[in-house]
Order: sequence, then C-alpha cells, then structure tokens
Amino acid sequence: MRTMATQLRPEQTAAAVAAVELVKVYGSGDAAVRALDGVSVTFARAAFTAIMGPSGSGKSTLMHCLAGLDRATSGAALLGGTDLTTQSERVLTKVRRDRIGFVFQSFNLLPQLTVAQNITLPLDLSGKKADRALFAQLVNQLGLADRLTHRPSELSGGQQQRVALARALVTRPEVLFADEPTGNLDSRSSAEVLGLLRESVSTLGQTVIMVTHDPVAAAYADRVVVLADGRIVRDLNRPSAAEIADALGARQ
Amino acid sequence: MNPVFRSQVGLAARRPARLVLTGLALAVAAFVVSGTLLVRDVVQRTVVAQLSGTPSAADLVVGDSESTITREAANAVKSVPGIAESVVRFSTYAELKGAGNEWLSIDVDPGAGPLATVKVVQGAYPKAANQIAVTKRTAERLGLAVGTTTVATFSGREEGDTKSITLTVTAVVDADNDWGVNGYAPQSVVETLPGAEFTQRIEIVLAAGADAQAVQDRLKAAVNAPAVRYKPEPNEDGTVPPGPKETPVRTGAEVRDAEVKQAISDVDELFAVVGMFLAIAIGAAVLVAVSTFRIVFAQRMRQLALLRAVGAGRAALVRALITEGALTGLVAGTVGMLAAVGTGLLAPQVAAAFDKEVLSPGVPVLPLAFVVLGTVFVAIMSVLAPAFTASRVAPLEALRAASTQGGRSGIGWFRAGFGVLTVIGAGLLLAGAVSQLSHVDDEFYDPTVPMLMIIGSGGLAYVALVALGPVLLRPVLAFVGWPLRRLGPLGRLAVGGVGGAPRRAAAVSVVVALGVTLVAAALVGGASMRALAEQELAVAAPADFVVTGEKGVPLPAGSVDRARASKDVTRVLPYRTAEVDIDGTKDEQSQKPWKTEATDIDLKALKAYPQMRATEGSLADIGPGKAAVRKYLAVKLGVGVGGTMTFRKDGKAMTVTVVALLERTPLDVGVLTDAGTMNALGLSAEPNAFTADQAREGAEARNAARKSLRGVGGAEASLTVSLLADQRDDLDKAINSVMLVLLGLVGLTVIIAVVGVGSTTALSVVERVREAGLLRAVGMSRMGLRAMLTTEASLYGIVGAAMGLALAVPYSWLAIASIGHGVPVEMPIGQLALVVLVLAALTALAGVLPARRAAKTSPVVALATDG
Ligand SMILES: Nc1ncnc2c1ncn2[C@@H]1O[C@H](COP(=O)(O)OP(=O)(O)O)[C@@H](O)[C@H]1O
Ligand SMILES: [Mg+2]
Repeated sequence: MRTMATQLRPEQTAAAVAAVELVKVYGSGDAAVRALDGVSVTFARAAFTAIMGPSGSGKSTLMHCLAGLDRATSGAALLGGTDLTTQSERVLTKVRRDRIGFVFQSFNLLPQLTVAQNITLPLDLSGKKADRALFAQLVNQLGLADRLTHRPSELSGGQQQRVALARALVTRPEVLFADEPTGNLDSRSSAEVLGLLRESVSTLGQTVIMVTHDPVAAAYADRVVVLADGRIVRDLNRPSAAEIADALGARQ
Repeated sequence: MNPVFRSQVGLAARRPARLVLTGLALAVAAFVVSGTLLVRDVVQRTVVAQLSGTPSAADLVVGDSESTITREAANAVKSVPGIAESVVRFSTYAELKGAGNEWLSIDVDPGAGPLATVKVVQGAYPKAANQIAVTKRTAERLGLAVGTTTVATFSGREEGDTKSITLTVTAVVDADNDWGVNGYAPQSVVETLPGAEFTQRIEIVLAAGADAQAVQDRLKAAVNAPAVRYKPEPNEDGTVPPGPKETPVRTGAEVRDAEVKQAISDVDELFAVVGMFLAIAIGAAVLVAVSTFRIVFAQRMRQLALLRAVGAGRAALVRALITEGALTGLVAGTVGMLAAVGTGLLAPQVAAAFDKEVLSPGVPVLPLAFVVLGTVFVAIMSVLAPAFTASRVAPLEALRAASTQGGRSGIGWFRAGFGVLTVIGAGLLLAGAVSQLSHVDDEFYDPTVPMLMIIGSGGLAYVALVALGPVLLRPVLAFVGWPLRRLGPLGRLAVGGVGGAPRRAAAVSVVVALGVTLVAAALVGGASMRALAEQELAVAAPADFVVTGEKGVPLPAGSVDRARASKDVTRVLPYRTAEVDIDGTKDEQSQKPWKTEATDIDLKALKAYPQMRATEGSLADIGPGKAAVRKYLAVKLGVGVGGTMTFRKDGKAMTVTVVALLERTPLDVGVLTDAGTMNALGLSAEPNAFTADQAREGAEARNAARKSLRGVGGAEASLTVSLLADQRDDLDKAINSVMLVLLGLVGLTVIIAVVGVGSTTALSVVERVREAGLLRAVGMSRMGLRAMLTTEASLYGIVGAAMGLALAVPYSWLAIASIGHGVPVEMPIGQLALVVLVLAALTALAGVLPARRAAKTSPVVALATDG
C-alpha cells in the first residue's frame, strides 16, 4: 500500500481527504466481514459532502478510517497528504486533537463540564489558548452565548448538538466529520444544525464530511456519495432531496 | 426461576468482572475474618504447645498459687508410699554484690529426668552445694559464664540479718522463664540456701502400679497435718491471723488443663479486642458494598426500566436484585474464606523458607461456614437499599434516549433530616464533653463520662458525614482539588470527573475517611502517650545510671573522678542525699515525724531536664531557699506553691519556700533544692551518689559503661549501679509494639477502603467508556487518559483523608485533653501529612488497573450509537 500512496495523482493529494483502494475487514475466517471493499474517493476542500447508504453499508467504517479513529486493513486514508494508515498511535492522537473535528449522533458532551469548558476541551488538551474572536463568533453564531455556564444536562438535544458543533469547529480543523448528527434530533433542531454546518462551509470555508440516512439532510450537501456493501455506487453533485431519494430507492 | 432474575443473572454472567468487583470488598472482609479465626486457632495451639507449665510427667501436684507449704510438709511428702520421684519447687533470691547489686532468683529444677523444665546448653548441671546454673540471658547480663563465681547476699527474716555465700556457676541452661535474673539448681542444693523455707508447689511422679487416688488422699493428709502446716506469726496485739487454706492435691492432668484454659482465655481476650476492629472493618465493607451495588444497578437502569415496561412488577425486581446480592455474598464469602484457608496452609511452608516455625492452622469448619453465611447476610443487608431504589425506576426511563447522566448531588429530605439530627446529636454530646473539661484539674476528676461522650459524638459525626457526604463532597473537593485544577486540563477533568458523580464519590470517600479517622486517632493517641511517657521517664529515669554508696555515707574518695575519667560514661553529676524529718507530721503508730529524702542534685544539668514538668509551679525556680516538693507531702501539710516547709536532721533544720510540686519525683526523693540550702543540715560536702550517662548509643556501650561504673568505688567498696536506661528502652519498645498492632488493626479498614476505591473506579470506568472514547476522539492520549483516571482515584483518597482528618484531629485532641492528669496533646503533623500522602498513593494505585483498561478503549466506541 506504500507504493500506492506514492503513485497518487497530484489532485488527489491536494484534496482535503482521500481514500485510495481502502479495504476494511472485520474478524477473520468464516466470520470475516468486508465492511469496505476497495473504496477510492476524494473529498474537496471547503465542500460539504454527505455519505449515504443503507444500514451496514460501511458509512461509519469509512468515516472512522478517514478520521484516523480506526485502521484500514489495506489501502490508504489521506488527510492533507498524510497517510493515516501508517501513522503511530501518538501521531494519530495529535491528528485527532489538532486537525480533525467530530460531531457524534449522541452529542457526547462531558456531563461534568460546563458548556464553555466542553467547547474548549480539545484546546485545553493540547494546551492551546482558545482564539477569543473565533470562540465568540462560534458561540454567537450557534446561539450559545447565554448558555456558557450551563451543564449539558440543562440543555435540549438541539442545543447539546450545537455545543458539540462548536467544540468541533473551535480548533479550526482541516476536516469536520459528522456521523448522523441529526439522528437524535427532531426536524426543527435538525434543520438548525444542518443550516449551521452548511454555513460553516460557506462562510468559514470548512471542509465537512457527514454520514446520514436522511435524504433531506443530505440535500444540504454539495455532493452525495452513496455506499452499498462497502463500495461506492453513486456520486451525485448538488442533488435535490428527491433525486437523492430516487438514487437510494433505485439501489434498494 | 423468576424471569426477571434470569435476565439479571444473564447480565451478571455476561460480565463476571462486575460481579467480582461488587463483591470484592465483601470478599476481603471474609478473608480477614477467616484469617483472624485461623490465626486465633494457631495462636491458641502455639500458646498451648509452648506453655511453660507443669511437666507432663507430673502425675500429681501439691499446692496452688495460694498455698504456703512449709519445709516440714515438703519433707513429709517424701515418706508417702507410692511415689517414684518428687520435686519441691523451692525458690529463693539473693543480691549479687559483685555484679552491681543485681538480684538473682534461684529455683529448684532437677535439670534432667521427667520433671525437668530446664535444659543444659553448656557445662554440667549443679550437684554439689553452692553450685548453680543460670539462664542464657542471665549469664550475659550479669557476666556469669560457666566457671565464674559470684558472692550472693541472702537476707534473713530480720532486717540487717544477711548471709553471703559464694556461688559457682557450673552450667548455662535454656529455660521457659528467662528474664535475665534466673538461676536454677537441684532441690538438694537450693534447700541448703537461706530463704528456701516455703514453697507453693510439689510435683510428683507416681511409682509404677501405684493407685493415684490413694496416693492423692495420703498426700493431702500428709501436707495438711497440723504439725507441719504453716503457722502465721501472731500480730503485735497478740491475735493470730488465719493460716492459709487447706493445701490442695490435684492430678497433673487437672493442673495442666487449668493452665491451658487460662492461657486460652488470655488469647480470647486479645482476640475480643481484634474482633472490635474487625467489626469496624466489616462496617466499612458494608458501606463499600452498598455503594458498588448502587453503581451496578444504576448502570442497569435502562434494562430494569425495560423489564418494568414489559410488565415486571416492582416486587419481582426487588426480589431478583436481593437474590443477586445474596449470591454475590455467597461467592465473595466463599472466595475470601478459601483464600484465607489457602494462605493458612501455605504459611508454614513460607515461614519454613525463612527458618521460622509456624504451626499449620486446622480447618475449623463450623466457624468458617459461619463466615460465609455471615457474608451472605451482610451482602443482603447491603443490597436492600440499592435494590429498593433501583426497583423504583419508571418504565419510561427505558424509552429515554441515552444522554448525559446527570450528576445528582442532592440527597433526599429523609436523608438530609437524618443527617441534620445526627449533627445536632453530635454537637450536644460534644458540648457536654467540653463542659466537663473545665474539671480536668479537679482531684477526683473521672474521665469516663466525658470520654464516652466524645466517642459517642465522634461516632454520630461520622454517621452525619455518611448521610450528608454528597452535599459536603463538592466543597471539600473544591478545597483539595484547587491545586490540581491549576495543573491543567487533566487535573481539571479529574476533579470534574469526581465532582460529576458526587454521591458515588461521597460513598467511597467516607469509607476512606473512616480508615483515616482511625489511623489518625491512633497516631495522635500514640504521639500523646509517647510524650506523656517521656515526661514520666524524664522523672523516673533522669539519667542512664545512678550510682549510690551506703546510706548516708559519702562515696569513697576519688569515685567521681574515676567515673569522669572513664571514656565509657559522660555527664557525671554528683549530688548529696539526706534522710530528713518533715516538720509538722506525725506517724499514727510510731508517733515520730515522717521521713523523706532530700537532695541537692542540679536538675538542669540532667539530660532529661527539658522533658521534666512540674505538676504545679516551675522547676526552673529551684534555688537558694527554694525547693520542689513531692505533691503528696505538700498536700498532706496543706502547703501549696509559695508556702514554706521545714525539714530536720540531727537537730539541724532547713526551711524552704515551695516553688514547684511534683506528682512523681526524680530519684524518688521528697525534696529537691540547691546545695547551699542543704548545707543547713550540716552535711559533709562530699557527694554520696552520682548520676551518669553512657557515652555512646547502643547495648554494647551500655554494658561497657556499667562495667566501668562498677569499678569506680575501688576494690573494697560496694557501690550500687542502677540502670535506668533500660526502663526507657522497655517503654519505647512497648509503645512501639502497641502502635504497630493498633495500626495493623485499623489498617484493615484502610485496606477495605482502598479496595472500595479500586472497585468504584473500575465500575465507573466501565460506565464511562463513551466518555473515554470521546476524550480519545478529541485528542487525549492514552497516557493522558490513564493519568486522568488515576488522579480521579487518588482524589477519592485525598477527599476521604481530608474528611477523616477533619474528624480525627479535633476529636482525638479533645479525647486526650479529657483524660486529664497532665496528659499532653501531641499532634504528629508529619505523620498525619504522611497518612494523606499514603492514602493518595494507595488509592491512586487502586485506580491504576481500571485506568489502564479504560485507556485501551478505542475512540470508535464514542461514536457507537447505542449506549
Ligand atoms: N467492530 C465491528 N466488528 C465487526 N463487524 C463490524 C464492526 N463494525 C462494523 N461492522 C460491520 O461492518 C459493516 C459496516 O458497518 P458500518 O460501517 O457501521 O455501517 P453503517 O454505518 O453504514 O451502518 C456492517 O456489516 C457491520 O456489521
Ligand atoms: Mg453507522
């Protein structure tokens, strides 16, 4: 796989994130599951990409490999030219801390920290000072200004997800990954969060890769990649919700 | 099987580690209790085996501890038919003038044969008159090697009637009693020594085929015959006091049985004290178990709610959870008990490897079964409250999305009310005790009541701490966590993690607090007792040696100079003593004034002076015309500090102003003043005694010092060299060993507290994998995660230690102050700080394993959707 990484075309390395012939096998022998079956895809900078597909198609696995949370079995996962599959755990930790932001389906805030402390957590861990201006901008944009001293248990789901979004953006990550960020939200809160993700792409130039089930959510994206059985089966540019539903329906 | 129970057992079976963690504290408690039972068994059997009692060959024993058997009665025994052998255990003692006026006791022992209790290790056992054997320590201490002779001075009935005999040491023996003053010889030898007139015991071996009962009856008649019975001397007024009761004759088996019973009852008394500390440790285990059950049930809240949602009744839930608790207790009890038995079986082998002999314990099946049953009972008691709380879960909980678990810090009204009531109770008892403290200096002050009040108040305060713990936790945490929070995000997260689950943190911290309270109280008590002992020793043993000559006669010329010249002794301080009459007193019987001893020793020059305290007044004020006086004498005369007393000797008088009163006085004198004042009594200027210290530390230096001091009087004079330093060493050793045992016992509670911290951390970590995954996902390193969780565990320890000290310091202070009688309160700050550090380290250690496991969590789990 080393040789593969060195044979990359220039535009692939220029992309924010790229997968090259990525294979991920869980288990071994008869029980082996090929979650990713040779995925090659690039994600452009300052773009909002949605990854879709039926349950079990390998969406989360792809995201974990691209974000350096999990190691691929073969192939390369490139973040700004670095192949994450060959990096040590120590480097990956730094990558996660400094170059990547996450938003999870189930918010994942630390209950014992206040909203403000939750937001600055990754900066605290790397011993950096928060960029005051960015912090203020995010807090205002996400409507959290009067909630900074609250604890997560005092917030609604939508508010908690906005805190998670702020936490992901405050480090100015190269890429923001979101795994079904609206999975636990009602439609109003979902629309809010998606609108904010969209805005971060448009106004901050943030690269966002989002895994979702929901065609309506995917319609906020610039591009939709559809996975099935660990392979990319469709690649749609600026599709409408109806087109997305069509594409998924055709597959199933 | 109850389907609810089946589902819960299924859960428990899938996660056996959790079951183990829940029961760990109980298992440790069961281990400790079983271990104690086994140790008791071993100690009892060791005590019985090593009992220095009646030789097993003795068929009959004449006399007991209350008997006075005369020599005539002992002789009468010899003519009783049916006896193969007998030993009359005569005993006498003498002063060894040549060996620094030490005492030697000489007892009868045949040295060989069935009734012997000593064994020759060197030389030949004495046979002829004036030969003796001595024990090993005696030989070393008094310099009585085989072949040496020593002049022994025996005192007769009348005062001044002494007889000196030169004894030859022919053997060194091993004996059960070896205090360093023991000599032995056969009956034929001891009988000829002065003082061997009465005995309490004659041991008899029956002739082959003799009828034991018949011999016993004959012996009884022989030793109780009126002609040979002890006749007490008539009193001065001519009345005769009643003689001793009839001398009993018992079988050897009977006597040995009684000896064994006595020895075992001593062991049992000791273990009753151990049992008290075990009870506290079991209480700690209950607190830990309650907390772990709560944690485990809270983690299953969603499943329990689901069971409720599909129609399981509340009672069925409670039953299932209690059954689970009982099973946990059964497993924990069995494991702990078996571990103790295993250790017991291994111990003799391990000890053998270190050349020590330890008896293997038996397996007392019934008591051990009770331990297991007791553990089940304790487990059921512990699981009750958590089970009822868990069964109250609303079925709706099952439908709620997994979200942030709130860190409830509040406590229910009932608990709060109970807590406040116990605080009030503790306060009232405390106020009661404090009000009694003003009477501490009264003559008839009795510390029992205030002491009980303080202990009661302390107990209530601890109960209040348990009840109100969750509310107190955050303030305490804010206080002890302050420096940690400065340390960066890890510290902040650790403090936040502990504060995030205040009820849980409080539950385990109060157990640590219990351990720390006990340890700290023991340390404060120990330090104060040591300070008290030092004060008393300063008086009882103001120097290492005291050298005195004959009463009222100056020391042989040059003695003091020779002592000063010796390189083995230092701080030679000569002084004079004189026997004086006390003006204004009269003995009821003799109608003469009381006598006491006066001295002009310069207290300030003594090594122990800084530790000497006057009961009233100040020793520093002793000077011309001013004296310190034994309190008892002053009180009898109604004289206080500032009053005057007059002492007379041979018509001369010395009047002094009393500047200090002493409960106990150095050198056992009644009056301490200065040389000029003493001159009024017309004494010679020459000293008649001096004190000295050994020049170097250690036993060898002490023996050297003693040896050279014995020689300073010259060849013919006999000086008495008293070794006071030994008293100090003995007391030091005694205090140290008491402290060691005490700390060992309260250490049990500390161990259970540490186990509690370990299992709480481990269980919390299980529950917090998502949190761990999240922290890893946002860029915390494995090391960082480990450090954070370990710090959390140590915070349980530090918070507990802070709470424990907050209780222990004031209460032990008060308790010691309430003993009164000038007991000083001593706060061993260094040791207390060490306790906090050790607890922090131990609890951190308890967190290391769970933290390592948690750090292995992959960040992916943070993204797992079900949780
Ligand atoms: N840790 C794992 N161990 C074994 N198989 C796994 C693991 N994680 C995912 N899989 C399998 O890999 C496939 C893809 O899973 P995933 O990427 O989570 O799908 P999606 O997110 O699209 O629903 C599925 O068949 C799933 O069962
Ligand atoms: Mg998924």
